[in-house]
Amino acid sequence: MTAPTGSPVTRPPVLANPSISIRLRRAAQDTNTVLWRDTLRTLRQPDLLFFAVIMGVFFLVLFNYIFGGSIGAGAGIDYLGFLVPGVLVITALQGAQQTSLGLAADLTEGVTDRFRSLPMSQVAVIAGRTIADAARNVVSLLLVAMVGLLMGYRFASFVGAIGAIALATAIGYGFSWLGAGIAVKVRQPDMVGMLSMFWLFPLMLASTAFAPAETMPGWLQPFVNYQPISAAADAVRGLAGGSPAGEDIVLTLAWTTALLAVFGPLSVRLYKREPQ
Amino acid sequence: MLCIVDTMSTSNQNTADPVIAARNLRKSFGDVEAVKDLSFSVAPGQVVGLLGPNGAGKTTTVNMLATLTSIDDGSASIGGFDVATQPDLVRQLIGLAGQAAAVDEKLTARENLELFGRLYKLPSSERKQRADELIEQFDMADFADRVAGTHSGGQRRRLDVVAALVADPPALFLDEPTTGLDPRSRAELWDAIGKLAAGGTAIVLTTQYLEEADHLADEVLIIDKGTVIASGTPETLKRSLEGDVLEIHVDEGEMPGALELIGPVDGLVSDEEARQIGVPVGDDVARSLEILRRLEDGGISISDFQLRRPTLDDVFLNLTGAPTEKAEVPA
Repeated sequence: MTAPTGSPVTRPPVLANPSISIRLRRAAQDTNTVLWRDTLRTLRQPDLLFFAVIMGVFFLVLFNYIFGGSIGAGAGIDYLGFLVPGVLVITALQGAQQTSLGLAADLTEGVTDRFRSLPMSQVAVIAGRTIADAARNVVSLLLVAMVGLLMGYRFASFVGAIGAIALATAIGYGFSWLGAGIAVKVRQPDMVGMLSMFWLFPLMLASTAFAPAETMPGWLQPFVNYQPISAAADAVRGLAGGSPAGEDIVLTLAWTTALLAVFGPLSVRLYKREPQ
Repeated sequence: MLCIVDTMSTSNQNTADPVIAARNLRKSFGDVEAVKDLSFSVAPGQVVGLLGPNGAGKTTTVNMLATLTSIDDGSASIGGFDVATQPDLVRQLIGLAGQAAAVDEKLTARENLELFGRLYKLPSSERKQRADELIEQFDMADFADRVAGTHSGGQRRRLDVVAALVADPPALFLDEPTTGLDPRSRAELWDAIGKLAAGGTAIVLTTQYLEEADHLADEVLIIDKGTVIASGTPETLKRSLEGDVLEIHVDEGEMPGALELIGPVDGLVSDEEARQIGVPVGDDVARSLEILRRLEDGGISISDFQLRRPTLDDVFLNLTGAPTEKAEVPA
């Protein structure tokens, strides 16, 4: 071991009052760095991607071959055509759960402590992760869509397919911030895993992702009709199937914006809170 | 019982403005006062050692200075910037190696250094070069391209400390840096810390090892239950004990008899398990001889004895009445 000082290091100037543009540029730089780090981590944990895809495939196969007959016949619809867009939205939602679990695990690893002592934007820690998760989501969505195609599903158009996957990614991104909020509030990975059942399952099953609202009991229908996953499932179904879905698309984007507006600042505030 | 030496004295009496300054720091967690009224400063190139048992408040102090824990009362500054009100600026000037290995376990050592270089916003041209340089200097080439999760404890600890050096910060906090390191790595790290100080870095080092504080620190603050109970250079602290210690090892079953023969002596230390008795004897050679003779005449079989200069261990014992490493963990 020789002298540890070595060649001089150029640290950025310490500015007492950095301008908004410098602060934004630094925050973007940090987000990009965290994104690079989380992408490396994702690539080294292909099991996460595998699980997200395999869940989607499970839902496609199970619902189509087990419940498909009764749901399809009962509602008088082509069930595979109904199911594939729904499962795309569910796959995106699973990705949001992984944000929650991944961030909670991160918070228990010591590296988060170092992040706090670094001259970096703390928003970047969450922003970088949600973007990395969104990128992974796009890959899982493409793979699930491919399985759908193998099962005989057909998108109405190429543009529709792109739109469907983009919209599913968008709502998934909104829910990623909800997942992040839970993770920074609760912090223990086991607890976060259990809690995610409470928001994930009702949203997932009591939605129009797997079955039309009309097939469900009347008391449940108001929830089913007005919750974000139904809007997203209907919107993605419209885009993928080439039927008009303007209202649902707007509603889905509104839900996404609302999730970001609420859980963005909340997550960041909770993250900055002192660890106990 | 103790001589407090003036807190600002340093072996290399530096007149430069302090890089790190803590003034009357206080921190409580619920009912527990972790830190009560702690003040010290660190000049460029100076190493201040915070020495104390687990739970003494060392880590809380470091965390307050490194912007991780809020300060209840008092104030602190790094490079002239206030820790509480200008944390963003302070973070540009500090490097921290905390107690837990704070590296990304899924990234390689090299990628970790690159990650922190990016977050410190070093120019991209320098980041890779800096990582290569640190890897070479700290002898990390063997494991530089393996993910940190597969490193041995010592390797990870080394990476953790090196990660704090990426931006060559003027203020460095090392919280028990050598805990869990093998003797060779420890010696290397000591060497490196000495060189960083020689290069002008102001360093705060916490340790439970008196030997480490003795070896590295220009000034030692002995902390117990959140307060400084003594401070000064290792030399002055040791001198404050005045005189030598006669260390006697006796054979099995001889401890009670030996202790009785020696009688009550201020500052006497006995360790049943090691069958060892330490008697402060000042500079009085005759006194040592007299004690040994008394034991011999009393039929005590002595397996070994030595006269030694007091260590910081003795200082700590003297001050707290408890040995450091075996100390009960105070709340």
